[in-house]
Amino acid sequence: MIDPLQASVQIASSGLEAQSDRLRIVSENLANANSTGRTAGADPYRRKTVTFASEMDRAAGVRVVKIKDIGIDRSPFRVEYEPNHPAAGQDGYVKLPNVNMLIEMADMRETNRSYEANLQVVKQTRSMVAMTIDLLKGA
Amino acid sequence: MGPVYLFDLASSQARWLSLRQATVSSNVANANTPGYRAQDIEPFSKLLDEKVVALAVTSPLHLTSTETSLRPQGTRKEDSWEIVHSGNSVSLEQEMLKAGDINRDYSLSTAIVKSFHRMLMTSAKS
Repeated sequence: MIDPLQASVQIASSGLEAQSDRLRIVSENLANANSTGRTAGADPYRRKTVTFASEMDRAAGVRVVKIKDIGIDRSPFRVEYEPNHPAAGQDGYVKLPNVNMLIEMADMRETNRSYEANLQVVKQTRSMVAMTIDLLKGA
Repeated sequence: MGPVYLFDLASSQARWLSLRQATVSSNVANANTPGYRAQDIEPFSKLLDEKVVALAVTSPLHLTSTETSLRPQGTRKEDSWEIVHSGNSVSLEQEMLKAGDINRDYSLSTAIVKSFHRMLMTSAKS
């Protein structure tokens, strides 16, 4: 294992990276909350999901976090009766994306919270390193 | 006056604290990983107890046994504050509290080393 303080910063930065990727997926979902298909009866945008996995970093000998997989939410689409819409099917119903604003917002808040926690760890580790260096000051 | 082992003690505590900080950092990074179990390392007092009966190292070729106990290990179920449905047992509040503890102990330990060093220098200079 490398120097533990250096390793802590490395682990926390892997967490920051994973959380910012997650935020990107959330913003993709929110931006496409009303993206319907182009042709009649076509499927609209499908909500994306993200999963994390803990991974052993062999070089540093510590467990960092990585994005395991960006999946697709297979839940049913919302439908709305709108016969004039270009993407409306034979029966006049338009399929809308299965994005739920409330869920995305909750996900965003959780992402924000985890990001802040990782940032806090980086700050504290930096202050510990500074304390060690300050030992030289008094001499 | 007998020998003072304060510097050795302080440096081994600093090593233990920085390893604990790495463990906390790993927990925080994996706060949203499904199935991840929060980890912690053994308390410092246990490490000290082991040191009393540890074999003396008189040559650099000798093996030391103190490092082996400093491995992070999964915490018991009742030690973590909350376990979410995905099986993750990391509580961010608990980890922040631990990180605060570590920071405070580290600053205490470095302050003690500093003042001890000043004392030594005072007696050496005068």
